[in-house]
Amino acid sequence: MKIGNQTINPSKIICIGTNYMDHIEETGLDVPKEPVLFPKTLNCLISNNDPIIYPKFLYNQRKYNRVDYEVELAFIIKDRCKYVPKEDVYNHILGYTVFNDVTARKMQAKDIVSKLPWFRSKSFDTFGPIGPRIVDIDEIKDPHNLNINLKLNGEIKQLSNTKHLLFKIPELLEYISTILTLEPGDIIATGTPSGIGPMQPGDLIEATIEKIGTLVNNVVMEGE
Amino acid sequence: MKAQVPKNPVFFVKTVNTLVADGDPIIYPKILYNNQDYNQVDHEVELAFIISQNCKNIQAEHGYEYVEGYTIFLDITARKMQISDRNINLPWYRSKNFDFFGPIGPRIVNFNEIEDPHNLNIQLKINGEIRQQSNTKHMIFKIPEILEYLSKFITLSPGDIVATGTPSGVGPIQPEDIIEASIEKIGTITHKVILEE
Repeated sequence: MKIGNQTINPSKIICIGTNYMDHIEETGLDVPKEPVLFPKTLNCLISNNDPIIYPKFLYNQRKYNRVDYEVELAFIIKDRCKYVPKEDVYNHILGYTVFNDVTARKMQAKDIVSKLPWFRSKSFDTFGPIGPRIVDIDEIKDPHNLNINLKLNGEIKQLSNTKHLLFKIPELLEYISTILTLEPGDIIATGTPSGIGPMQPGDLIEATIEKIGTLVNNVVMEGE
Repeated sequence: MKAQVPKNPVFFVKTVNTLVADGDPIIYPKILYNNQDYNQVDHEVELAFIISQNCKNIQAEHGYEYVEGYTIFLDITARKMQISDRNINLPWYRSKNFDFFGPIGPRIVNFNEIEDPHNLNIQLKINGEIRQQSNTKHMIFKIPEILEYLSKFITLSPGDIVATGTPSGVGPIQPEDIIEASIEKIGTITHKVILEE
């Protein structure tokens, strides 16, 4: 897919759950001892300015009718790697971008309570806006000192800084690469800060990270 | 592992780094083998079907129009890790997605060649001894229902793999074991388990 002027062909998207202390507090979840990993499938990816389609299947059911935004710093893998030591991780990163981990929240909460996987609530089509561009790794000296915010219809809902990440990029990549092989173009989303909340059809979502830019998507009801 | 009978199919993801072909070794990860909390890796033989074309929101009665064919899939699972993650309400991802945890093959049988995919004997042997033995007629959710439900959530694309679940008899594998997973009318995949160096 095209992100800004670069084309990537990811084989997978790996997201990190509960990785900002302020978000951990609002979810009531435990502070993880190791990074919490879950996947999103590639069908969810959309570009800057593409619509996020609100599934009718969720909208029409009271037990499922909540879909949330989650702004995240994502990094893109540069080359095939496994067992990357912490001190070497930046040699395997192409650059940084903005990711919105759109989540069917009531469905996720229900699945979590039943100890089921998180897959279905996270991977509806269009639930993974990404962009507006990939900033080369050399252009951001410290990825852990970037303001990050999300606006819903112009109003700030999430506001934090990547310095509050519990597990930083070196620890994340070292850990993930002990489990699996990463491929060029793979997307790793580092987790969301506090302030998550629901979106409605007609809403405009602007997700911004300092030095990267703003990812803009509007929410459209499926079939309209 | 005791689980309740689900009202809807339960889906989880294996990423493509897991895939290995018939005859390739299954590498037993050191970080599991050397950790008492995680040192159980299980076999799960499954009937898998391959998607033939892009599809979304399909009806059960049209399900087979989107199936390219059938194959055998081994859903290798770090069981202790999965249970420990489930117990604290974490996702199932990492226990299912070590490299080599998704053997598949030995061939794709065209959907035309199998009249009823829900009447196939399925079995798994370790070192020649049968550990799993069942028939695909015992699946709770059949292929058309799985496809109808799954395609409500996501668009499926040609080549996507859907594994339909495993019968009873799951259990641990050890380095040096020979795993043979068979499904009637499809064939057998054979894999040796090797401890990661």
